[in-house]
Amino acid sequence: MKDMVLRLVLPVALGALALGARAAGVRWEDSIVTVEVTQKDYDFLQPWTKRMAHHLKTGVVVAPSRVLTTAEHLNDLTLVRIQKGGHGQWWDGALQWIDYHANLALVTATATNLWRGLKPARLADPVPLKGGSRFLRWHEGNLEKRKAEIARFTVKHAHLSFLDLPFLEADSELNEGGRAEALVSDTQLLGLACAQDRTTCTVIPASFIRFVLQAADTKPPRRLGFFDFVWQRTENTAIHAYLGLPGEPRGVVVTDYATGAGKSDLVRPHDLILEVEGFKIDTAGNYTDPHYGQLLLENLATRGKWAGDTVRLRVWRQGAMRQVDYLLPAAEYGAELVPQAVYDREPEFLMVGGLVFEPLTEAYLRSWGGDWRRKAPFRLGYYEREKPTPERPARVVLSLVLPDPFNLGYEDSHFMALDKVNGQPVSRLSELAAALRHPKDGYHLLEFGGGESLRRMVIDAAEAETATRRVMQQYRLDKDRFLAPEQPPGPTRER
Amino acid sequence: MIVAATALGAEPEKSVVQISTFSQQPVWDAPWRFDSVRKASGSGFVIRGKRIMTNAHVISWARQVVVHRYQDPQPYLARVVFIAHDCDLALIAVEPESFFDGLEPLELGELPKVRSSVVTYGYPAGGEQISYTRGVVSRIEVQSYVQIGNREFLAVQTDAAINPGNSGGPVIQDDKVVGVAFQNIPGLENAGFFIPPPLIQHFLTDIADGTYDGLPQAGIRLAPLQNPAYRRCLQLPDDGAGVRIDQILPRCPAEKLLEIDDVLLQVGPYAVGSDGTILYQGNRVFVSVAFNEAQEGQSVPVKVWRKGQALTITLPMQVRRDDAAEGNQHVLPRYFVYGGLVFTPLSRDYLRSSGADGGAPGSDELVYELFFRRRETPELWRPEAVVLASVLSHPVNANLEVRGRALVDKINGVRVEKLEDVIRAFESHTGAQDVVEFTAYHHLECLDHAAAQRAGPEILRTYGLAKDRRL
Repeated sequence: MKDMVLRLVLPVALGALALGARAAGVRWEDSIVTVEVTQKDYDFLQPWTKRMAHHLKTGVVVAPSRVLTTAEHLNDLTLVRIQKGGHGQWWDGALQWIDYHANLALVTATATNLWRGLKPARLADPVPLKGGSRFLRWHEGNLEKRKAEIARFTVKHAHLSFLDLPFLEADSELNEGGRAEALVSDTQLLGLACAQDRTTCTVIPASFIRFVLQAADTKPPRRLGFFDFVWQRTENTAIHAYLGLPGEPRGVVVTDYATGAGKSDLVRPHDLILEVEGFKIDTAGNYTDPHYGQLLLENLATRGKWAGDTVRLRVWRQGAMRQVDYLLPAAEYGAELVPQAVYDREPEFLMVGGLVFEPLTEAYLRSWGGDWRRKAPFRLGYYEREKPTPERPARVVLSLVLPDPFNLGYEDSHFMALDKVNGQPVSRLSELAAALRHPKDGYHLLEFGGGESLRRMVIDAAEAETATRRVMQQYRLDKDRFLAPEQPPGPTRER
Repeated sequence: MIVAATALGAEPEKSVVQISTFSQQPVWDAPWRFDSVRKASGSGFVIRGKRIMTNAHVISWARQVVVHRYQDPQPYLARVVFIAHDCDLALIAVEPESFFDGLEPLELGELPKVRSSVVTYGYPAGGEQISYTRGVVSRIEVQSYVQIGNREFLAVQTDAAINPGNSGGPVIQDDKVVGVAFQNIPGLENAGFFIPPPLIQHFLTDIADGTYDGLPQAGIRLAPLQNPAYRRCLQLPDDGAGVRIDQILPRCPAEKLLEIDDVLLQVGPYAVGSDGTILYQGNRVFVSVAFNEAQEGQSVPVKVWRKGQALTITLPMQVRRDDAAEGNQHVLPRYFVYGGLVFTPLSRDYLRSSGADGGAPGSDELVYELFFRRRETPELWRPEAVVLASVLSHPVNANLEVRGRALVDKINGVRVEKLEDVIRAFESHTGAQDVVEFTAYHHLECLDHAAAQRAGPEILRTYGLAKDRRL
């Protein structure tokens, strides 16, 4: 669907953003729109079922025929519509570009009447941290304006990603914000709200948006990179003494790799990172940004950099100063053992004789609700803390058993991580499907993880196909499996 | 050997006593400290040998135990003679022995029948006088024993009210003791549980040599064998007999004698069903009951089906102690303090005390280490995992980022597998900095070795520790 959309859209140069700049005293009514989204919403505990969800969000015209909004809820899209002026006609739109890690998307529409009267907003870069600001959105036909006060520019965990990215935090009386409400000054777009906790709104800053939007016009789109290592603060100066760093205590110490995506010897445990891109790193892991003051060093992985770019590090390693050109790995959900998200495809599953297997993903774990970290089965949740390995890049779970004479005795076995089938290690459903083609002596032997309540199951290979058909009929399943054509890529490094 | 008495009390209530306990539990994340003194009340009853039987949990962590006889205002001091946390039973003695004058020891009866009537005797909350409640035996099966937390034994459920204060009191049928009231399930109405005669007798037999050993385990995990394909695969008829051995616990005698996918057909005289149950005195109960009949060191003959053949194996029974940390331990926590860093073994008690069992930050790793590590990666398992429980603030440690609830991996290069490794790693170190590495993200902290040693006595004085260790 996205390919079709791309063909519909006239190429628009990034320079259009600048062309959209206007003088003071802008009419924000001409730039703010409402975006209505309908998406498929899946029940991962019954992965063959599809539900529908509607969302209303704010969008901002940032270039001719381009509406910027957040990426949240634009996955698995079935319909997107745009309304201008807060009332009246809804115009069919299309997703033009999306970056889930950055939580940004561009929506467009072919109807020229929609764009008539709409004017691109100017994106602030850098974002002024002082001065008046307010949140804008259409509400019941009026442009709602809520005063906002920018509290700080910070780097923190992204909403839809494992990346640490730059955000604004703004205090406001906005009600139920976080749906891409526009934070504006008198003349410029300062950012889009992506979350709200009481009166504190988290806002994707315009400077970051401006940078990321460059990817919308590159083919293939560039991707965000990240530092794939874990570091710790060194306010404990005995660490510097232990590592033999002369001079003032400074820098942070690397302790581990994060996902394994960038695993290499570029940065090693017990390296002290002293400088990144020429910026000195203090013992708390901050550098002094020329625009935004003290920021976590993670910001330097996306400050004008993309996956595949190199970032210059100055490290203290084993008693010597070294220069390291760190190659930024690409942010990919598949880099984690338990991917945080799998967007734009229905949930994978494979059912054999009533035994339903699914990949272990965070979306699956969220089936236990907002408090899933406490409520999901402990062992399944704990896989999120583990790293992928070449032998075990992902996990498959026996999610449920649809009772049938074929699986008699196994009805209560579920939420168990699968290790092997017929002696073959299984990390993905495709491997499970392959292993099921090679029964041993007429039986399939299924082996589960060591921490599970049940380690082994045996099912009859010859009866499996008949039983699968019977279960499909009994439980009204239209198919026994959905395996994505291509599995998520494993740990990779862009070059 | 102490055997339950034979004398019959025509008025059993006279042999039922009220037990008041003043107890003080340690604080596991500050292991030199104790919680405030708490008073609790339970019940007990006189058995032969001038002993009083009660629940272990009634007299756990007791600083003082006071016993009141039936309708006698005089308090009597008691002392603990035997305590069995796994089966939640204990014996206490009262001095002077004149306390027992006029008290008839109660006789131990048989396992009651389901649907038969029983009467609980005790001193539950809500009044000072003895209370009687009549009920029927609802069911008999294996239940979790919460005093130990990681063991399941035979228990009898009754609809007779068993409330706080009833604990340790006798459950009577035909003037004989058919159980010791011990627990209920919060939120479940009209359901109390009592410890049945086979366990009581096992306890009394166990202590006959002056030591309590505990209830031995077979060291195997069983899985129902009810899937027709699995039964055919193992060449077994689909006749409802036999349960499959799914896991064998490491370092148990079973490890050398049994195999995964062996099918347990019989344990002692009991035929084992495909759901893992046996017919035990008219009740279908989990087969562990058959193993629990043995004492430590005894053997149980088992019949297994292996690769199409029936084999008889004599299985030595052994009390498992290597998983003690996974249960409630009821022993003073070990600890070592160095430079203000408080190290203590990881345990279920520690998790509860530190809030880590409620999902506090950092708790997942501790939960995994305690309950999953050994089964999943036994080669990485530590016999006594050690946590940094807290940091007693002092300039020598003021800048440490890790302040507690962190699993220790190495100290000065020494892999920490028990608390003694911590002490050895610090005390034998000759470098300028002590280096503590944690398992989470391989986080590390350093201390100036000389400064930490110098600060030790001052830290102990400041925070009121008499000693830097309890081993």
